[in-house]
Amino acid sequence: MRRHTRRVFNLCYRFTGNSTSAEDLSQEVFLRIFRTLPSYQSSQGAFPTWLTSVTRNLLVDHYRRSRRDRMTDSIDDAMPQLEERHSPARMPDKLAQASELSAQLQRGLARLSPELREAVILRDLQGLDYAEIRGVLQVPEGTVKSRINRGRIELARILEEMGVRPA
Amino acid sequence: MDWNCTLTEERLSDFIEGALAPEDAAAFSAHTKTCAACAKLVAQVSGLVSRMQHTAPVKESPLLVGKILEATLGPRKRKPVSPGWFGWIPAIWHPRFAMGIVTVAASVVIVLHASGSPAARTSLNPVNLVRGANRQIHLTYAHGAKFVNGLRVVYEIQSRLSSQPESMSEPISVPATRPSGEPQPGQKQPSAEPHEKSQTVPHSNRRDGRGGAEMAVMLPNRFPSSSSISALRSSL
Repeated sequence: MRRHTRRVFNLCYRFTGNSTSAEDLSQEVFLRIFRTLPSYQSSQGAFPTWLTSVTRNLLVDHYRRSRRDRMTDSIDDAMPQLEERHSPARMPDKLAQASELSAQLQRGLARLSPELREAVILRDLQGLDYAEIRGVLQVPEGTVKSRINRGRIELARILEEMGVRPA
Repeated sequence: MDWNCTLTEERLSDFIEGALAPEDAAAFSAHTKTCAACAKLVAQVSGLVSRMQHTAPVKESPLLVGKILEATLGPRKRKPVSPGWFGWIPAIWHPRFAMGIVTVAASVVIVLHASGSPAARTSLNPVNLVRGANRQIHLTYAHGAKFVNGLRVVYEIQSRLSSQPESMSEPISVPATRPSGEPQPGQKQPSAEPHEKSQTVPHSNRRDGRGGAEMAVMLPNRFPSSSSISALRSSL
């Protein structure tokens, strides 16, 4: 349960960039899972893939719902809160560095288009293989590979613009 | 194959993940050695992918799992705590409870002692306590000793009574030469036997319901005379 919760929460957090929204969405995901569990069949894929798929659908819904709000309230406005919460000044060196990198990565992800962002998150942060991502996104594997590749290149350029040195 | 920057960008992820065919990988590497922009891009993306794959997952709030469980399964129903009739017994052994009892007892003793009542003072005086304990011990010992003595007497009586049937089967032999007066000094021990037997005979007669008169006659005589013995034999 805890493992699945962390997986869902991280996907939501990386996609939304906000821990409160991520927690709310995680709850919503598990509620939906709980309601639709009887209809789950193993032919739909492994349970983690199905869980990720449900999460992704909810994230898309959430993104569409909040897009109107984001026209006036940019996601960048939420970033200072994020940085403030994870203020590296109060943490040990290694932790602070990791936290800073994570925050920079989050800011870069927030500037990616949703399609590229979800592909990169699923591949590089969630560790899904191409077939699983294809199952989650319901797109051909070629599209998945293309999105991941473009997402990585774009994210690298964004981070370069932000002045973040590659590791 | 004529490798260019567009191909490098398109196949970058395949190159990083080692999914390129060997000849494509060789062409890719050869291009990046000659193209600084592509080399920089490859380094940036490789570094980014490595960094993302080593990024630790963000820890969720510790309350999140509980919230999810509550949202899905509903609030947890806690069993109502009903101690029952004997449910409170284990609580006595709890150190806090024992400590409380000791504290209350100590408080009561202090209050009684400080109240100045003579009964409390005398009863709580250590000398009185020691004397009382000593007296109690002696009383217990005396009761025990008395009980053992009583047992000894009962045992003695029982042993004498049990030896009686044997004495009844034997004929009563009294020395004919013995006078009815005082016994001779040398025959002190044997003289005790008739005395004992004279006591047991009436007892055996008592079983028959007769001989009470003989008993009354014989008891004053320490050594029965031959006439009384013959009378006893005739009665038997």
